[in-house]
Amino acid sequence: MKEVVLDCFGEACPVPLVKAQNKLAELEVGDVLIVQIDHSCAMKNLPEWATKDGHNVEVEEVDDGEWEVIIEKTK
Amino acid sequence: MENTEKKVKFFDKVKENEYYQRWIKSPLTYVAAAMLLAIFQIITLASTGNPWGVSGVFAYWGAWIYEAIGGNVDKWYYFASSGAQSTLDAGFMNHAGTWRNLGIIFGALATTLLASGFKIKKIKTKRQIVAAILGGLLMGYGARIAYGCNIGALFSGIASLSLSGWVFALGMFGGAIVGSKLLVKYFM
Repeated sequence: MKEVVLDCFGEACPVPLVKAQNKLAELEVGDVLIVQIDHSCAMKNLPEWATKDGHNVEVEEVDDGEWEVIIEKTK
Repeated sequence: MENTEKKVKFFDKVKENEYYQRWIKSPLTYVAAAMLLAIFQIITLASTGNPWGVSGVFAYWGAWIYEAIGGNVDKWYYFASSGAQSTLDAGFMNHAGTWRNLGIIFGALATTLLASGFKIKKIKTKRQIVAAILGGLLMGYGARIAYGCNIGALFSGIASLSLSGWVFALGMFGGAIVGSKLLVKYFM
């Protein structure tokens, strides 16, 4: 079980989403992907995509205007 | 010691407040935002006589700035109509769209500050600068030759039962698909 951090600070939509999708595809089931974002739209579309895809998702506010979207790959 | 117990900071309390969490902190749902946009579109049309537009205002801002530094746009085809001329003569402070756009800018700032989500983002690569400038120029130029952006031409067009709004929608979705492919290919 790996934990991978994906730095998407400073990236605007749709870049964080595309990067997260590509990265998650490389990971194994059970691995955790942590996407760091500071673009509030990504806080909406990242969890939306990951939930729809059936993964476990959690959003954590790490600082003012900075979030971590934690995605556990389930399939 | 008792004192520190009592001194739960005011803003720490606000942060935990259920209504702050629900109304200020978390983003609106798409449906709620769409309802608000529809309501304000109706209010805009009823109170100003014109549907909502955003990017056209920036063209006037540009003309006012150009005039302020000694330029003259009287002969420009874009500003040739009598309506455009009277808007330019009336000035920055008397333009409804100016106040609306300022409201959007300062409203957006206030919203992120209230949600304590304000952050000055770092520029990571030179490519981001190129992408931002290219994108801004293309959107601005495109919006002006189309006589509207996604608000003035698309949203207001469709809301006014105009066919042009739907034509704009087709072009915009096609452009968005091509644009995202280019973005992924060259700027990621």
